[in-house]
This record gives sequence, structure tokens and C-alpha cells, in this order.
Amino acid sequence: MNSSNNVLVIEGLTKSFPTDFWRKPVRVLEDLSFDVRENEIVGFLGPNGAGKTTTIKILNRLAFPDAGKVTLFGEDIYSGADFQRRIGFMPEQPYFYEYLTAVEFLRLCGQLCGMSLRDVDSRSEELLSRVGLNGVEGKAIRKYSKGMMQRLGLAQSMLHDPEFVILDEPMSGLDPLGRMEVRGIIRDLKAAGKTVFFSSHIISDVEALCDRVVMLDKGRKVAEGLVEDLIGADILYIELVVSPAPAPELLESAGILPGAGHAQGDLLVLRAPDSQEANRWMAVLLKEGFSVLSCVPMKKRLEDIYVERVAKTDVKAKVQ
Amino acid sequence: MTGRIFSIASNTFRETIRNKILYAIIAFAFFVIGMTFFLADLSVGDFARIIADIGLASIHVFGVIMAIFLGITLISNEVDRKTIYIILSKPVRRHEFIFGKAFGLSITLALTTLAMATVLFAIHMVYKLGGRPEPGIFVASIGIYMELILLTCLATFFSTFTTPVLSGIFTISLFVLGHLTGYFHSIAGQSKVAAVKWGGRALFYLLPNLEVFNWKNDVAYEQLPSASIFGLAVGYLFCYAACILAFSCFLFARKDFK
Repeated sequence: MNSSNNVLVIEGLTKSFPTDFWRKPVRVLEDLSFDVRENEIVGFLGPNGAGKTTTIKILNRLAFPDAGKVTLFGEDIYSGADFQRRIGFMPEQPYFYEYLTAVEFLRLCGQLCGMSLRDVDSRSEELLSRVGLNGVEGKAIRKYSKGMMQRLGLAQSMLHDPEFVILDEPMSGLDPLGRMEVRGIIRDLKAAGKTVFFSSHIISDVEALCDRVVMLDKGRKVAEGLVEDLIGADILYIELVVSPAPAPELLESAGILPGAGHAQGDLLVLRAPDSQEANRWMAVLLKEGFSVLSCVPMKKRLEDIYVERVAKTDVKAKVQ
Repeated sequence: MTGRIFSIASNTFRETIRNKILYAIIAFAFFVIGMTFFLADLSVGDFARIIADIGLASIHVFGVIMAIFLGITLISNEVDRKTIYIILSKPVRRHEFIFGKAFGLSITLALTTLAMATVLFAIHMVYKLGGRPEPGIFVASIGIYMELILLTCLATFFSTFTTPVLSGIFTISLFVLGHLTGYFHSIAGQSKVAAVKWGGRALFYLLPNLEVFNWKNDVAYEQLPSASIFGLAVGYLFCYAACILAFSCFLFARKDFK
């Protein structure tokens, strides 16, 4: 785990939060270990309350672990090293000083990062345009929508050109176009040699963007690895799209099980268990004069892995 | 480090100066200070002294209201609104944040105290068109301002670990006790019971002695505090505020943000 190109190494991280005075503290993280390597995009997946935000807060020294070690750029985060200059962070649903404008807020952030006013202004202009906030940069932040706040949060996290960017739910509150833009920004960061670690509920975004994924449930890691390794090479089934939808009697006579397909408008979507069956079904349907519009081998999706692993921990918890 | 403290302070100043409630308090303070002009006419005795006396008391009361109202929400607002997440994720140390916030509020209080003192000075001067300028008003206001800084530090201290309501209650209690510490000292001196003697002394030394900054009566009687009294007050403020802010930083340094 301690290879030289590790940007972040988390070992045995455990954290509890006190609730009431007389009640036992609630365990939020339990012996969590994983790492993030240089120039990777790592997705941090988990249901609500899994401990993703707590982990991210610990990385930013906003919360303190009960046990475990966090190493950033090869140094313990409590060693006193000024690693925050090398990190960009966007919290979940970021809040800003409402009385400031985006430009004023970025100036404040830049000053706190030790940037000169000239650098802050030129970088702000570039970033505000990159996140789609040009034209509203002079408006008070209190007039911003949730999506605009999210974009500003993203801009401030990249302002000082950090090597490692930590984003907590960067897609939340964004419309599909906004999500697409954020995906583009994250890809650009990787292309510029940066490392990105982000949490998300939107599995399709994680699947599309990430090199590696860490899945968390109830404070424990339930999966970690390269996206392609987790998904695997196994083909689950082969999907055939047939036009027009054949009558059920014809399917029955061709030996196609009634449960193997579902109608989608005028089309019929069939799921063949393997390639042999798919070939046989195609031959029959083509002979009967139907068109096979597509034939796609379907692999496991990250969502299936996520549901599988999270469900497994739920069952384990119930058994215990 | 000073650059970051200054940035946080200037942002805090900007935040407090845009607070509408602050303007309501200042407007009411101006009104009450202005009323001394008419109140003096209804009184028997030295009218100018009455203006200075009531006017300085008004500056004191409204200054305390502003210091406590703004001080108790200084840190808690940042935590509640989660703006602190972004600030502390930058290369900012937690003690720099505390110092910056307290410094920023001190600048706001300096301006508001100066504004109130200037209004009182003008009223005192124009009273019956033949009033005399009283620079002592500004000297007594400096004393009030030093007390406000101490109250700001206390409010900041409480707001690092408790709710704004409790912070307010604690700070107001210390404000009241802070003007009574002299009594604790004399009780300790007169009592023959060891527990009262030691308890009284402990309270005298532990609680803030806000009477150190009270020069209102001297100014009302046209006397100015000596340089040694002024120096003692500055030294006391520096030591007490440094201790309180050090405690605040200590508590804040290990605070978990949920």
C-alpha cells in the first residue's frame, strides 16, 4: 500500500461521534483502509450515512479520528506539514459568505492560499468561465441557485492549482448539462496530471469517470479496486432488440421463454442467456421476417456490484 | 500568518458591517445619545456634565450589546453555515481563524464606538451654542472600547464550545460580575472566614475586572485618567485577552465539525 506514487494512504481509520451525554458514541468509520495513487480518479461510493463525508472531513482535518493513520503526500496529516496548499477541497452542498460576490469570495480564498491579487484575479476569471459562472461573477452569492453554488465550490477548490482535489458530492444539485460539465472538468484535471478523489451517489458518473472505486457501507469498506476489475469480464446476458415485436405465440413456438423479453414501444427487448441461444433466436426471428436492431453482450454494471456488496453487509448486520 | 489573519479579519469586518441589526442598534444608540441634549435641559446642575455622563453610559450600554450580539455568533455562524469548512481546508491554522475573527470584530467595534463618541462630542460641544469641546469623551470611549474587546474575546471563547444562547448568557453574566469584582476583593479583605477570604480573592483574580476600563466618572468631572492608569488598563487587557484567546484556540484546535 505504501508505494511511492501514493498521494493518499488511509490505514485503519476509525471514528465515533458522541450523541447524547449518556448514550454510547455512534461508530461512523470502522477500520477503513485504502489508498489513492498519483494521477488517478478515485470514486468514493456509499449510501447515506456510510461515512464518506466523515472520511473526507478527516482528510481536511475538520474532524479527528479515534484511531488510524492518514498519510498525504507521504506525510502524516498531523505532522504539521503545510499540505493544504497542495489540496483542493469542495465540501458537500458548499456554503459561502452570502454578502460576497464570486470574485470577492475567490479573492478571499486566494489570499488565504497565499496567492498574489494579480494571480487570483487572472485565475478566477479563467475558472469562473470554466465552471460556467462568467457573467454572474459580480452578483451577490445569496442570489445564486444551488447549481451555481456547486460550480463556485468547484472553482474555489481549483483556484490555487492543487495537485490533489477532493470533492464531496460534486454532482449533487446539478442538472444533466451541469453534471456533464463537471465530468469534463474532472477529466481535464486528470489530463493536467492532477489526482481526484470524489464521493458520489450517482453510480453512472463514477463508472464513467473513475479509474478506481472504493465502496463504503456503515463505515466499513465493502469493495475497492479498478472499475474494470470489479465489473469483471463475464457476460451476464446478450440483449437483442427486435422490430416489430413478435406475437407471444411465435416466440413460444421458436422456443423463446416468455419471461425472456419485455416490450418497449413497438420493439421487443430479449435477454438471451448465452451466445448460442442468441444466435439461434436471431436465426429464427430473421427467418420469420423480423429485424434484429441490436445484439449487445451485457456485462455487470458498477451499480450491480454496489447493490450486491451493500446488500451483503446488510444481511451480515442482520445475522449478527 | 499575519496576511491570513488580516484576510479573515477584513472578511469578518465586512460581514459585521453588513449586518442590518448592527445598524438598528447604532441608530437607536444615536437617538439615545441625541436625547441627552434635551435631557440636560430638564435636569438640575451642570448640564454639560449630565450630557457627558448619560452619553457615555449610552455608548457603554450599546457597545456592550453590539459586542455580545456579534461576538456570540462569531464562530457559531461559521460552523452552522459550514463556511468554516472551506476556510479551514485552506492553509489556515485554527488559531489564525480565531484571531482573525476577533480582530475583525474589534475593528467594527472601534468604528461604531468612534461614531457614537463623535456624536456625543458634537452634542456636548454645541449644547446651547456655547458648549465646550470635551476631549475626555474620546478618552472614556477608549476605556469603553477596551472593555468591548475583552467582552468580544469572552464571547468568542464561549462560542467555540457552546450555543449562541448559552454564550450570550455566560458573557452577560461575566459582564455583570466584571463590574463587581472590587466587591469580591473587599469582602475577601474584611472576612475572617478562610473560605470566603480565598474564594473572594480567587474570584477577584479570575473574573475580568472591567472597572479597570471605567473612566466615565472621571471624564464627567473633567478629569482624565493618568498615564499609569491608562497603561495598567492596556496591560491588563492585553494579558487577559491573550489568556482567553489562548484558551479559545486550545478548545477550537481539537473541535470536530460534524
